[in-house]
Amino acid sequence: MTDHTAHQNPQVSTWGAFRATLKRDLLVAFKRRNDLLNPIMFFLIVVTLFPLGVSPDPVELSRISAGVVWVSALLASMLSLDNLYRADYEDGSLEQLLLSPQPLYFLVLAKNIAHWLISGLPVVILSPLLAYMLYLPGEAYTTLVLTLLIGTPVLSLFGSIGVALTVGLGSRGLILAVIVLPLSTPVLIIGAKAVTDVMFGLPTGSHFALLGAILALALSVAPLASAAALKISVN
Amino acid sequence: MWLWFSKLGSPRWFYDLSGKWLPWLYGAMLVLGVTGLTWALLFVPQDYQQGETIRIMYVHVPVASISLACFPLMAVAGAITLVWKMKLADMVAKCVAPIGAWFTGLALATGGIWGEPIWGTWWAWDARLTSMLIQFFLFIGVIALRSAIESPDNAAKACAVLAIVGAINVPIIKYSVEWWNTLHQPASRFSMDPVAPNPPEVWVPLVIMICAVYVFFVITLILRTRNEILVRERRSQWVKDLVAKEPV
Repeated sequence: MTDHTAHQNPQVSTWGAFRATLKRDLLVAFKRRNDLLNPIMFFLIVVTLFPLGVSPDPVELSRISAGVVWVSALLASMLSLDNLYRADYEDGSLEQLLLSPQPLYFLVLAKNIAHWLISGLPVVILSPLLAYMLYLPGEAYTTLVLTLLIGTPVLSLFGSIGVALTVGLGSRGLILAVIVLPLSTPVLIIGAKAVTDVMFGLPTGSHFALLGAILALALSVAPLASAAALKISVN
Repeated sequence: MWLWFSKLGSPRWFYDLSGKWLPWLYGAMLVLGVTGLTWALLFVPQDYQQGETIRIMYVHVPVASISLACFPLMAVAGAITLVWKMKLADMVAKCVAPIGAWFTGLALATGGIWGEPIWGTWWAWDARLTSMLIQFFLFIGVIALRSAIESPDNAAKACAVLAIVGAINVPIIKYSVEWWNTLHQPASRFSMDPVAPNPPEVWVPLVIMICAVYVFFVITLILRTRNEILVRERRSQWVKDLVAKEPV
């Protein structure tokens, strides 16, 4: 194609479509403040329930703090997942996305990154504050933040498969949990284990290697599976 | 080859062929099961550490082994459904999910029954046990997804994707006893040496039991799949003829 025809029919590059999708999703999220705030509030409330429900005792809390933060992050991510494709499915823009000539992998990846920026990153940023409230020992803070930083994108990526599979269904809330939560458990186990290991003075290199491997796998496979699932659901 | 392949995808062909296999499979299961159970329950010597409780192994190990095979089978059948749109593959994928869930549940239950006298607990948050529990949840997830989607075609594809993604848990279960050094013991090595910890008199009946349970699994899968074929092909002429021949 010559420059001339390109000018007449402006083609969007894959990178351009990727950026446009990312920008659009972030813009939509910022226009709907509630969607933006709810996952974070949910995360804060769930964490708060543990001292109230288990015990306010500092020794007991510091022992479970890593797991509490991780489980709450997982639940918050899952709660916000529904926004990922739901509104787009209802107003028809998801079909446009599927019909676009760009590879679906990158568009899905852009949406997943947007989801992580909206729901995962705030959790990572807030986690030291909650760790402090749960009496997490000082030496474990960096590990907690780092594991969440690597782990929460995986939650978005795997979760995206579940949402894509269930987007066309009426009662999807519970089935989404049944599908997504078992897939997310390896990340939860490794992430929380790394933090507790640091508290006992054990090395954590292997946990980070595993988390990194899972993230690499999720980045390369999950958008493909999500794309396939979206095509099935929208069909 | 291609003829064979396309025939394999035909539900009617499978229905006819599996009908011929079934009597043989019943016979094989009976022989293997009776031999294996009698040998395991009556003639295997007591374990020097575990005494009579070792006999649970002859049920627990075959059941657990099958439950590990179900998810890859479902994933492969799912992949065939997605790539070649073979109807039979999806029927097998649909039928193997509840069987897999049952066997996973049975493996957990027999493991608990074995664990209570040996470990002193029915349940522990051990790597093998927990990953098996997650596999159970994954099976439930696949079954739930299948029942939630109304269009059978879409349900087939969606379940195939989920089965393929969920199959990553299988190697985690398989190697859980080697990667994490927790309560569950690693797999024992078989040995021909009569004075080894696992002499042939202990493991040969186990192999027979594994074969027996595998044959049982194949029979259940075939029966379920035949049923599924009849349900899905109920409008086709050959099923109508078949039902007409059947004495009511």
